[in-house]
Amino acid sequence: MDIAEYLGGKTLKTFIGIVFIFYFLFSSSILLRNFCECLKIVYYPMTSLIFIILTFIIVICITLHHRFSSIAKVNLLIIPLVIISIIFLFVANIKNFSLDNIFPIFGDGLFNTFVTGLGNLGAFGGITLLYFLPPYLKEPQKMKKIYLSSIILGTIYFLLCVSIILFMFISLMYTNQIMPLYSAARYIEFGNFFQRLESVFLLIWILQMICYLTIIAKISLSIFKKITNIRDEKPLILVFGLLIFAISLLPKNYAISKFIEDYIYQYMVIIISIFLGIALLGLAYLKKRKKKELNTDVKENI
Amino acid sequence: MSFKDLLSSLFTYTPENKETYNFNLVEDINTKSYPDSTIGNTENKKTKIFPSVTVNSDYLKTKYNLLINSDIIFRDFILNARGKQYHALLIFIDGMVNTEIMNEFILEPLMMRNKNNSFDGGQNRVIAEAVANNITVRKVKKFNLPNYISSCLVPQNAIKQVSTFEDCISGINSGNCALFVDTLDIAFDIEVKGFKQRGIEKPSNEIVIKGPHEAFVENIRTNTSLIRRFVNNENLVIENLSVGNITKTTCGICYISELANEDLIAEVKFRMNNLDVDSLLSAGQLEQLISDSNNLNTPQLISTERPDKAASYLLDGRVIILVNGSPYALITPGILSDFLSSPDDKNQKALFSNFTKFIRLIAAFITLLLPGLYIAVTSFHQEILPTELLFSILASRANVPFPIIFELLVLETSFELIREAGLRVPSPIGPTIGIVGALVMGQAAVSAGIVSPILIIVVAITGTASFAIPDYAFGFHLRVYRFVFIFLGYLCGFLGIALGLFVYMVSMTDTKSFGVPYTVGISPLEHVKGSSYYLPAMEKREYRSGFLNAKKENKQGHISMKWKNT
Repeated sequence: MDIAEYLGGKTLKTFIGIVFIFYFLFSSSILLRNFCECLKIVYYPMTSLIFIILTFIIVICITLHHRFSSIAKVNLLIIPLVIISIIFLFVANIKNFSLDNIFPIFGDGLFNTFVTGLGNLGAFGGITLLYFLPPYLKEPQKMKKIYLSSIILGTIYFLLCVSIILFMFISLMYTNQIMPLYSAARYIEFGNFFQRLESVFLLIWILQMICYLTIIAKISLSIFKKITNIRDEKPLILVFGLLIFAISLLPKNYAISKFIEDYIYQYMVIIISIFLGIALLGLAYLKKRKKKELNTDVKENI
Repeated sequence: MSFKDLLSSLFTYTPENKETYNFNLVEDINTKSYPDSTIGNTENKKTKIFPSVTVNSDYLKTKYNLLINSDIIFRDFILNARGKQYHALLIFIDGMVNTEIMNEFILEPLMMRNKNNSFDGGQNRVIAEAVANNITVRKVKKFNLPNYISSCLVPQNAIKQVSTFEDCISGINSGNCALFVDTLDIAFDIEVKGFKQRGIEKPSNEIVIKGPHEAFVENIRTNTSLIRRFVNNENLVIENLSVGNITKTTCGICYISELANEDLIAEVKFRMNNLDVDSLLSAGQLEQLISDSNNLNTPQLISTERPDKAASYLLDGRVIILVNGSPYALITPGILSDFLSSPDDKNQKALFSNFTKFIRLIAAFITLLLPGLYIAVTSFHQEILPTELLFSILASRANVPFPIIFELLVLETSFELIREAGLRVPSPIGPTIGIVGALVMGQAAVSAGIVSPILIIVVAITGTASFAIPDYAFGFHLRVYRFVFIFLGYLCGFLGIALGLFVYMVSMTDTKSFGVPYTVGISPLEHVKGSSYYLPAMEKREYRSGFLNAKKENKQGHISMKWKNT
């Protein structure tokens, strides 16, 4: 936000702020909708989808009343749990892996893999949050280290997830599956006692999802606070909660919301998160360099 | 008609003919004030003592309602000083003073003629004399009756001159006696406390194996002496202040001046000096009055009856608060890991204490989550159970006609009922209630088909786990929130549990105790020196708790066992 203001004044700051708020609200709503649809199919077939989404919204609204640091601390507790769970899922399923499943490697052809498949970069949408992290850092000098470790951790997580799915299911099968990782969890078996552990994984994934949604909502609120210069954002918590709730109910059915996630959202990530973000940073860097050069010229002339 | 009027007209009764009543009820008891009453008066209006004993006596007789009050003693006598006689008055409360001290060390030296009081020296004493040019210059010290009484006549260790009735009354109320002498506009506040009190006993709620077996008592001075014996250092400061407009309860703020953080001490004093309450009767009340606001109602001050535990925290750099009349000390600030620690942890080898700490952590999780998880699994996620176990649960529930939530709530409430009854009944019957309640009633409930045996096991494990929590208040907190997780598990299964747990954790991490994050040492998982939940080996406990920012960081040398290197 500050970089946008540095580049184009208050107008650009407000514009960029609105774009990112829209992006965050839209992405979180669609993710929430899809996750709740899966929950409904798997565990709550008799429950109305609205109630499932509403439970998340209530939790988001309650949590947003707390400090950002508190939410971050809970994330710090849950992230190791998530990573351990995915490693466990990987290790426990090794016996079910089949190397044949990854073939043919370029099954849909090179164009589809490298060009159409670019949209899959949308999986890294979480990186957008890194743009808004600096004001919350206790030690900004460690920013580089923090960013690198977050990207490395995220990549390891994705690699593990993708490997589990790739090695376990043939490509035709997993593309049509609801929550392929959940299906992978169903195969875990230890003797006669631990035969079905998928609900434990689901508990961890629910925690993971609510962490992500809360952080996104908190950052959206802080962006709004920054562009409107309001003193206290707490009265807006309910508004943001209701906005997420309303947007998540927009798609008529799961097919539409899945389509939005697979196509619209993923390209949105590439445009807003990757291109817009990097472009802003690049332009700001150029402007700073130009200013520096001008200053040195003026000093030399004096 | 407003909504409120509509409701009141629907659900309340208003008599039509109000004149039928011959009396008036006070509408709001809180708004009624008695203009003459000075009780709990917070204004600093102080009345000076008069030079006449008779006037002082009348004033105090009115103050103490002497006509109807039976235990206030006004003792008139004639005081001898330097051969002169003065009318004097001694006031004290019967039962609160030591009569032997009164007779032998106050009345006898003042009333009986002896060498001291019958000595008829000059009124002015010459200290130095010089003669120059036939003029004699003398430095004279005038005779001062108050000083003479306190320094020559009363052989008592604590005697104070007070000039106002309020100070005088405060002394009398706390068990001292007040001495008024005619012609003096001051009074003597003489310490002669001698009320009956409980002796030092074994701790009843914090039992340890290897530690000392002494507990705090109700008297603040006994408690401070217990702490002093453990700390054994002149840097231990015990500041007194009074809380309560009526009771003026003495509270002691204890800290080691060379260790404790100045800001922490200032914060404790600030909170205690800014309490506008009429009375303070226990440490539990004070704890509620000075704690930060907290959504989860977790305890934020450690309450202990053990002087060794209090001393150990003092040496860590924390601040202790003692309340006169309460056998508990409050330790500030309290963090989450403190409430899962026992005083015995530091007396054992690190391996053993860490093992028990781990068990306590599991106990906390079981207390909070086990019934909720049970209901979530049996209602929504049956697949997680092995088939054989699922069959046995189903078979055990076959004869039970109630839904599982009802069954669980009945058992949990019964368990709480038995626990409460066991606490309230006289101690010899307490264990009987537990046995009758737990064994007989449980067995009968299963036989009658009200509850299933598997649920008895779940509730029993939860109950046993809750007893493993060392801090009573924290155990209570877990017991209450267990019901929340039961409802969440029943409503949404693991979804409810996960979301509830998230809110719980966020609220917990948001809590602060005297500016210190409640979950320090647990989350964030960064290294805060000396603050980890698990204890290192004795020789490696090098640092004081880092979050306290104590004046001295190290509490022992880098190599504490120097004998190994020699």
